[in-house]
Amino acid sequence: MSGAGEMEREPEGDDVLAAEYVLGLQTAEERAAAQRRVEESRDFARLVDGWEMRFWPLAAEFVEVTPPAGIKAQIDRRLFSSSAPATVKQGSGFWSSLAVWRTLALGSLAALVAFVALPFIDPPAPQSREQMVASLAAEGSNVQYIVMYDSQTGEVGLSHLSGEPATGRDFQLWVIKGTNAPKSVGIVPGGQTARIALPDAMTKAMEIGDVFAISVEPAGGSPTGQPTGPVVAAGGLTEI
Amino acid sequence: MTPQDITKLIVRTSMRDREAFDLLYRNTSAKLFGVCLRVLGDRAEAEEALQEVFVKIWTKADRFAVSDLSPISWLVAVARNHAVDRVRGRKHKTTDIDAALDVADPSPTPEAMVVAGGQREQVYVCLDELEADRAAAVRGAYLDGDSYLDLAARHNVPLNTMRTWLRRSLMKLRECLER
Repeated sequence: MSGAGEMEREPEGDDVLAAEYVLGLQTAEERAAAQRRVEESRDFARLVDGWEMRFWPLAAEFVEVTPPAGIKAQIDRRLFSSSAPATVKQGSGFWSSLAVWRTLALGSLAALVAFVALPFIDPPAPQSREQMVASLAAEGSNVQYIVMYDSQTGEVGLSHLSGEPATGRDFQLWVIKGTNAPKSVGIVPGGQTARIALPDAMTKAMEIGDVFAISVEPAGGSPTGQPTGPVVAAGGLTEI
Repeated sequence: MTPQDITKLIVRTSMRDREAFDLLYRNTSAKLFGVCLRVLGDRAEAEEALQEVFVKIWTKADRFAVSDLSPISWLVAVARNHAVDRVRGRKHKTTDIDAALDVADPSPTPEAMVVAGGQREQVYVCLDELEADRAAAVRGAYLDGDSYLDLAARHNVPLNTMRTWLRRSLMKLRECLER
């Protein structure tokens, strides 16, 4: 290895670090430091993504190898050791993890729903009226909301349990029906309780299993119309 | 599976949808296992790493939304980073790659065949503009998880020399890819 230009200054700076991180050239300590920067700095994360994209064609050289049959069951055991391995449930649709959410959420939910639901439910309920509730939470996040849906008003009532957006950020509420892309319901207002109108097409159309999710977005909401930040809480609608 | 399909599966996984997670595993685990095998060069360790990779995917799927990468690139990056972390965390790399790949299906992936079929990606054109041993070092780092230390030993140059050479090569590569 020799050639012209050996006397040039050695390149340095964040872009070089990002490339070294992507290629995996660094020591364990240097990698850990780079990983922290990816977490903390959006600019550095973008430089890293840029190098991932530059080298991406090389990944075609990774030959696909089917892993042994037992691996997925071991992953499930690590993640869901308290419940049975995920088997395909007949006719349960995409949001079958609803069952998981129910078991996770119902304990705390049961105590809360009667209390929280009260302001949102008016006594004379016509037969066509449907009321459902979703408990929104996610692993690794302290954000928790309860969503109440009332088909008569086409509104959702939001009850804040815990978690706040960082300064300069807003929580945005999304609704996901079946396999459709998330639709924005709106920015989550501050305070203990709030009501937000659903998008027109959804006011009467919510069903058990439809999912509400809250993502972290720039102040004023997602600039793209789709979630751009991490999902900090989600849950499916269940019957009250 | 289209990239859109995989995106949906990752987003659903971020919302704790186990059925989506199962489908994601079914459709991407062979590629990610290939990544672990190549970087780690040891089948038992690659199986362990693959489990950890999917645990990460389950717990960190929401990070995909803030990434600029395509869904499969993001998944491969998660697997590569994890495998490289494992290699860096141990004292000596197992170099028994042939043994690990003995049981592997050697047929090239569809992507690899497109490349072989003449539709050459720009990154290969730009790697060709580098001196051959430096291009080999870049490829070795990306595909085999070689560190500066590994590469310095293999090419029999001091560590700092290898670092300087590769840094310059990376900047040349970037410049070539941007023209």
